[in-house]
Amino acid sequence: MNTEVSVLYFAKSAELTGLKSELITVSSNVTSVQLWQHLEEKHPRLAVLRDQVVLAVRQEYVPLSEQPLTLREGDEVAVIPPLSGG
Amino acid sequence: MALNGRDVISLTTDKLSADAVSESVTCASCGAISLFIGTTRDHFEGKKVVRLEYEAYVPMAELELRKICSDIRTKWQSVRHINIQHRLGVVPVTEASVIIGISSPHRSDSLEAVKFCIDTLKATVPIWKKEIYESGEPRWKENKECLWADGGKDPKC
Repeated sequence: MNTEVSVLYFAKSAELTGLKSELITVSSNVTSVQLWQHLEEKHPRLAVLRDQVVLAVRQEYVPLSEQPLTLREGDEVAVIPPLSGG
Repeated sequence: MALNGRDVISLTTDKLSADAVSESVTCASCGAISLFIGTTRDHFEGKKVVRLEYEAYVPMAELELRKICSDIRTKWQSVRHINIQHRLGVVPVTEASVIIGISSPHRSDSLEAVKFCIDTLKATVPIWKKEIYESGEPRWKENKECLWADGGKDPKC
């Protein structure tokens, strides 16, 4: 089943895509690595982050893996480049 | 949580005040207040830094900061008040980007808790900083504490 979720871009990923956020439609049991691939297809410049990025789904960190995400309509997914707070 | 212990978390573009943080964690039964102030350095790898710019995933940053407060209270049960302030937006060189204040009856708990707080903040809180140099391209920094900064390891910590 397809679900529409919002994707938030931060820091370098926002510069690479030129976006702060967008809506995408994906299968609700997409894996994190598939979701990332979907974003890379839309925004090829994201490829430079591929080995240094995690996602945050419903504000929990999710590494890129084969684990299905179980997304729900309206969920928020954030692209999280390496942190540099503090 | 220690009786009436308070967690104050603030993400703000305003200039931070160490006095204000210290006053906010003061309590009559605490003999110690430990403060950490993170300031912006004026150089990186020989390049002159003119300012830092900070950005955050605000709701999740607040959530992660609350988790840190909770972890602190589990590990150091005598901690009374915690105040974590992080500045967002432009931070000129020598100004504070982060101030952490923690009070406890005796000094070793607040000292240890402050160290844990800044170390964990750097590893887990979704905040990013960009260094703007006098010449050359700006650069998004990466904390070595962040598990996915060096090639995509599991972020669970």
